[in-house]
Amino acid sequence: MHLHLVDYGIIGLYFLFVIGIGFLLKKRIKTGNDFLMSTRNIPLWITSLAFISANLGAQEVLGMAANGAKYGLYTAHFYWMGAVLAMLFLGVFMMPFYYGSKARSVPEFLKLRFDEKTRTFNALTFAVMTIFSSGISLYALAMLMQTILGWDFNVSIWLAAGIVLAYTFLGGLTSAVYNEVLQFFLIVLGIAPLVYIGFHQVGGIDGILANVDNAKLHLWKGMSHASTNPMGTDAFSLIFGLGFVLAFGYWCTDFLVVQRAMISHNLNDARRTPIIAALPKIFMPLIVIVPGILLLALQKEFSGFELPLNTNGQTDYNMVLPLLLSKLYPSGILGVGITALIASFMSGMAGNVTAFNTVFTFDIYQTHIKKNASEKHYLYVGKATTVVGILLSILTAYVARGFNSIMDLLQLVFSFVNAPLFATFFLGMFWKKTTPNGAFWGLLSGTGAAALTYSLSTAEGKGGWIANLHTFYSGTSQAFNIAWIAFVICFVITAVISFVTKPKPENQLVGLVYSLTPRQRDKNRVWYRNPVWLAIIMLLITLFFNILFY
Amino acid sequence: MMNKFFDLRFVIGIFFLAVGILLLLYSFTNPTVMHAAVNRWCGIVFMVFALIMIALAFGKNQADKL
Repeated sequence: MHLHLVDYGIIGLYFLFVIGIGFLLKKRIKTGNDFLMSTRNIPLWITSLAFISANLGAQEVLGMAANGAKYGLYTAHFYWMGAVLAMLFLGVFMMPFYYGSKARSVPEFLKLRFDEKTRTFNALTFAVMTIFSSGISLYALAMLMQTILGWDFNVSIWLAAGIVLAYTFLGGLTSAVYNEVLQFFLIVLGIAPLVYIGFHQVGGIDGILANVDNAKLHLWKGMSHASTNPMGTDAFSLIFGLGFVLAFGYWCTDFLVVQRAMISHNLNDARRTPIIAALPKIFMPLIVIVPGILLLALQKEFSGFELPLNTNGQTDYNMVLPLLLSKLYPSGILGVGITALIASFMSGMAGNVTAFNTVFTFDIYQTHIKKNASEKHYLYVGKATTVVGILLSILTAYVARGFNSIMDLLQLVFSFVNAPLFATFFLGMFWKKTTPNGAFWGLLSGTGAAALTYSLSTAEGKGGWIANLHTFYSGTSQAFNIAWIAFVICFVITAVISFVTKPKPENQLVGLVYSLTPRQRDKNRVWYRNPVWLAIIMLLITLFFNILFY
Repeated sequence: MMNKFFDLRFVIGIFFLAVGILLLLYSFTNPTVMHAAVNRWCGIVFMVFALIMIALAFGKNQADKL
């Protein structure tokens, strides 16, 4: 792929704007709270778009296009089953506890509901996860730039890290969030023309129906058994593993996304943030999955659309989007497309770094190292943590370069940590007898159960560290099954230990447990301000698409 | 006018206006009709989007400033 001056001009313009936003916001940052929490003063439309944009990182944009080619329309389950329902649940049921408790982070909520050890365990695992994730984003960006543009690996890493550092260091969380909104529009407007051109080339819907295997153009067909659909998973694993455990574990407990809602003006805005974000999320498959399906049709109709092989000699599905950009975009709009890819990497990285500095400053430094320091002090700590977070991300990127399997490991760490965490939250928020000891040991057992399941099973040649007792049809199926097993173990252990240990007094749980918290009254609000009505509308739209593409 | 740079809608509008103008101008230098049309239409769509964002920034709701 060869870029022209105009393409470099667009990339340069984008870099100028993201750093410019950081400079503009610099003078508004005076305290640690401004830097790490945006003083809970961000408008609804911005928090909503930042909410989905924080998840619109490299793994999402490249990975979902890859899955679109690999699994076809079944990939949309990651959105309609694996995101929307959880986002609605977060807005309707969980956000009142997060926002109402005045906790500054998810680990801090765990401290209020349970105790310090549960908070510290979650803060440490989350901090490690965000650094890994940020570093992998950086590594993937550098590899992509090296492969498709011939840029030097080191230059790509230091340039991207330097720009993310500049705008997050200057403007903190607000700068990251504002840039996420710009990045959202850039990703959508930068990739949408690709979908239009692709549709035009293959001959529209008729061309897709004629050239793509019918088995890849459904959502639910063949889901009765793992061997009868391209995804290699069955309906139970999909609904319980992805739709319930993994989706709710990520969208309802991962501080990276929850933080975007927690910085809203007020509780009503905080509740509506994930619900309004669900609307673009419902339509996102059009931008990130459809290109993969279009590639399948283009491969049948034209030559030159074959995917390259990776180092293991297997088809490299991650190259779906770069291949389409190089084949369908002329110079000019190609610069916009490449900038959109860079934006997705930087968005993912900045989101992780800002979540990392908040959790480190409030949940590790302020709790265990220096309590009761001045706001100015925590501002400096937050800024220093940002620099350290970026440096650790760079280090992780270089480590990832030497280990091919580190990306798979990252996905596993996500399912190890997030799946049991949702069981802890679920019991903690909806069962007042859940005890601090139950939560801690349940969380630990769930994480251990996930690791053990992975060690005793294989899929696509991965796993089975101890023995191979079961082989899954696909890595996706393995991840879904690990998730629900970890959830169930955590749930059961937490419940059993809670029966034999002492719960916190009820007066300490008001605002933290559903049955002990006064209900929100939204009856007098107009429908578009009422989170429940909005959630019902989103639910109906999701249901409609599930029926349409059955 | 400088104050408008604290409104994210204005910043996004300016960015896409600049990119739209670049694409539109570049389309006149494209050697093939197909490439020129892609850049021209994308440039126009970006500019329309940019103008909508800028218009919103100048609207009544000033609560969305940075």
